[in-house]
Amino acid sequence: MTTSGNAPATTIVEARDLTKRFRASGGGWGRRAQVHAVEQVDITLAPGEVVGLVGESGSGKSTLGRLMLRLIEPTEGRIRFEGEDITDWSQGRLRPLRRRMQIIFQDPYSSLDPRKTVAGLIGEAFAIHKLYSRRERRERTVALLERVGLSADHLERFPHEFSGGQRQRLGIARALAVEPRFIVADEPVSALDVSVQAQIINLMAGLQRDLNLALLFISHDLSVVEYISDRVMVMYLGRIMEEAPARDLYTKPRHPYTEALLSAAPVPEPDVERKRIILEGDLPSPMDPPSGCVFRTRCPYALPACAEAPPPLREVAPGHRTACIRDDVL
Amino acid sequence: MNPKLRRLLPRLLLVGLILGLALFAPLLTDQDPVKMTISERLQPPSADHYLGQDEYGRDILARLLYGARVSLAVALLAAAAAGVIGVTLGLVGGYFGGIAELFTVRLTDIVLSFPPMLLALLIVTILGPGAETLTLVLTILYTPGYARVAYGETLSARSVEYVEASRALGASPFRILFRTILPNISGPLIVQFSLTVASAILIESGLSFLGLGVVPPDSSWGLMIRAARGYMVYSPLPLLWPCLALTVTVLAVNALCDALRDIYDPKAAREGGLLQAARSLVRFPVAGEARRAEAEPAEDAQVKVSDLRIEFATPHGAFAAVDGVSLAIGRGETVAVVGESGSGKTMIGLSILRLIPGPHGSITAGSIALRTKQGDVLPLEQLDEEALEEVRGRDVAMVFQEPMTSLNPVYPVGEQIAEALRRHHDLNKREALAKAIELLERVGIPDAALRVRDYPHQMSGGMRQRVMIAIALSCTPALVVADEPTTALDVTVQAQILDLFQHLRDEGDSDLGLMFITHNLGVVAEIADRVLVMYCGRIVEEGPVREVFRDPRHPYTRGLLSSIPRVNQATGERAPLTAIPGTVPGPGERPQGCAFAPRCAFAEPRCSVEEPVAHSFAPGRSTRCLRWDELGPAAARDTEREITQEAGQ
Repeated sequence: MTTSGNAPATTIVEARDLTKRFRASGGGWGRRAQVHAVEQVDITLAPGEVVGLVGESGSGKSTLGRLMLRLIEPTEGRIRFEGEDITDWSQGRLRPLRRRMQIIFQDPYSSLDPRKTVAGLIGEAFAIHKLYSRRERRERTVALLERVGLSADHLERFPHEFSGGQRQRLGIARALAVEPRFIVADEPVSALDVSVQAQIINLMAGLQRDLNLALLFISHDLSVVEYISDRVMVMYLGRIMEEAPARDLYTKPRHPYTEALLSAAPVPEPDVERKRIILEGDLPSPMDPPSGCVFRTRCPYALPACAEAPPPLREVAPGHRTACIRDDVL
Repeated sequence: MNPKLRRLLPRLLLVGLILGLALFAPLLTDQDPVKMTISERLQPPSADHYLGQDEYGRDILARLLYGARVSLAVALLAAAAAGVIGVTLGLVGGYFGGIAELFTVRLTDIVLSFPPMLLALLIVTILGPGAETLTLVLTILYTPGYARVAYGETLSARSVEYVEASRALGASPFRILFRTILPNISGPLIVQFSLTVASAILIESGLSFLGLGVVPPDSSWGLMIRAARGYMVYSPLPLLWPCLALTVTVLAVNALCDALRDIYDPKAAREGGLLQAARSLVRFPVAGEARRAEAEPAEDAQVKVSDLRIEFATPHGAFAAVDGVSLAIGRGETVAVVGESGSGKTMIGLSILRLIPGPHGSITAGSIALRTKQGDVLPLEQLDEEALEEVRGRDVAMVFQEPMTSLNPVYPVGEQIAEALRRHHDLNKREALAKAIELLERVGIPDAALRVRDYPHQMSGGMRQRVMIAIALSCTPALVVADEPTTALDVTVQAQILDLFQHLRDEGDSDLGLMFITHNLGVVAEIADRVLVMYCGRIVEEGPVREVFRDPRHPYTRGLLSSIPRVNQATGERAPLTAIPGTVPGPGERPQGCAFAPRCAFAEPRCSVEEPVAHSFAPGRSTRCLRWDELGPAAARDTEREITQEAGQ
């Protein structure tokens, strides 16, 4: 494996032209149908950086997160982690590396093994990597539990004895056990009650800051992403539409999809009268995405030229990149 | 002692006893199982022969005990061997897929395609009869059963997130298979084992009975039954003993495996805890007279609910999902009911159509008065099912959260709308279909004349929700209850549906009352005139949306509003979120006094004793808090800082 020339301190994980096409079942008539889940995505995270990944269902955001951890094999593209190209590494070779990259799941009910106690769930991380002595493992487990707002009293309990929010804390503790540098959080608060969401967001924001974690925060909830992220990427039908520092993106969106998404999100402020952009229709099928710009079929500003080729991401302001040819409207 | 262990122990002892009897046969009887005494054939029980003698004068007890050794050994060995081989095949095939999957599936298909008896005959012909051959035959016969169960379960377990989590942690496939997946699929496998053992004992008997198993003069239960059958007319007892032994053994093994399965399922017990929780619940005081705000639009209310109580019977006693709720929805008014899971908001919606899931749930107190289109007021809580069917759809309709499961997948959507229309109107098929197209146009479905023939699966989630709304509107009801109608939808589609509701209200039916149940405060702000905030089965705050959002007078409402992440648009500053500590109490855990007190930053000692009543402090507004007047707009700042500190820990 070649080591890249750039200093590893500036990026922790970097993907180029990442593409994933799933074989669809029942394609029919000769040609195998393919689901274009992720198409030619470039993404980079610096150590300690929080990148928000926003998109609707079917946009490929969860697939992208799993691709970066190589939990799913990419169809095309390269992934570098801490300067090393890990695209072709075998799963066996990746195993020690998994200590440094982790994932937090959406559903706190299906993401914890119902047959293991809390001690077993978190201890598994140590056992897999043969870390620490028996006693140390226990001490570290308790320390982790306390770190996420639980306590040693919970060690011998099973997941079903916890509420949704507590389970999500357990999921976070498990991910932190191996002391990763990079975490993919896939909709970590979407399944939680409103009053519990804020607890988990506070917890994650605090841990991220204290441990200087690189965090890829995947969510469909724009306000949560805005709150926690340094930089935000907007995804639609497998492609990145826009990418910018969080504040720029929310205050000065440069892509029609971002603009529509922001205006569609209900805001809990009844006094604020807002102009709402209602997009026509639904997300096109990822099995047969539109030619050219994938958003053009719902875009209020689409031109004939939009159908020609997928517009590349262009820098329109420092760190602000958009995949739209219509500079004249936004 | 753990209740699960208490259940296991007697069963374990029984199976142990049966195995012990077989194992220690030589110690238990000094009779020789193969020694014949032809002169004493078919003798009834005596002092020397406790169970009598068979057709060759052999001691039946001795033959039963020695026979058990063969029967049980063959059955247990075969079940265990088949289990190990089958489970391994199933796990590997299910987890890795590819060639391993092909091998497992095809192998089981091949074995299963042979008639079992034919297979047995084939093997016995090649190897000759005997206990060893029998074990081999049974192992081959039962392997596919295990493989199938293990394969199917592994296939579904493989894609569960906790398996992915193990992979993400770097666990080896071996570890994932045997440490994560195997324990989780052990339930069905234990059941499979118990079925196999029972069935193996029976097949052993059957094959021996046919002369393909154990060779005489050795004893087995099957052989005994075979021999005794010939004489059963003269002497039924020799037939009874082996049959009895067979039955008791099979039942004991089944019972043991049932208990074992529960032991391995951590979810299956802890009854003590729940029971106690339920007891504390029964003592829970019934909500007394809830004083209602006078400024309610009671006169022309489409629906008026008073002191409603909905109880659910559980194995551990009744609990109230809704406890003393009163509300009214006026003509043309949109009322949002907001709350978290377990708040009872859905139950209130269902109760207005009298759709509380029975037989466990029921309305135990209160009244629901619904105004029909003709202006009559119907006491819904008293109507029988037949009268309710008339009311549903015609006067009040419902839109559910998940349109895929609430539409019938085998009929085109047009027919489903037409059916709803024809239930309450005198229309023929063609007229109804024309009306259905009109309705689809009204809810914003393009090319309605074509889409009317689509099946639900051909439509997107947003389109299906539009169809549901069309069905709800089909008979122009006076009231629509929408239960989380946009929760399953994407943000941009949610905006479309909210827009549709607004549009229907503004331009269509200005009289349409709408109850909008949601957990999303943003949606409330967009759609509703009035909001009811629910917590633990009660309305804790009520009022016009703007006023409640600007000046919440219940700590729970205040907490909900401040737990929404906000970034200051001017400065980009991110204030720490003021989270509500703790979690919503479960159905059996509702605290005494104010249910919110344990999570409340304003709670005083009296809050966990005294049950707050709804206090109307301004026109149209009420709150259920003892300290509502201290919750002015300015008063809360300091306390919020406290909450943040607590929640941050």
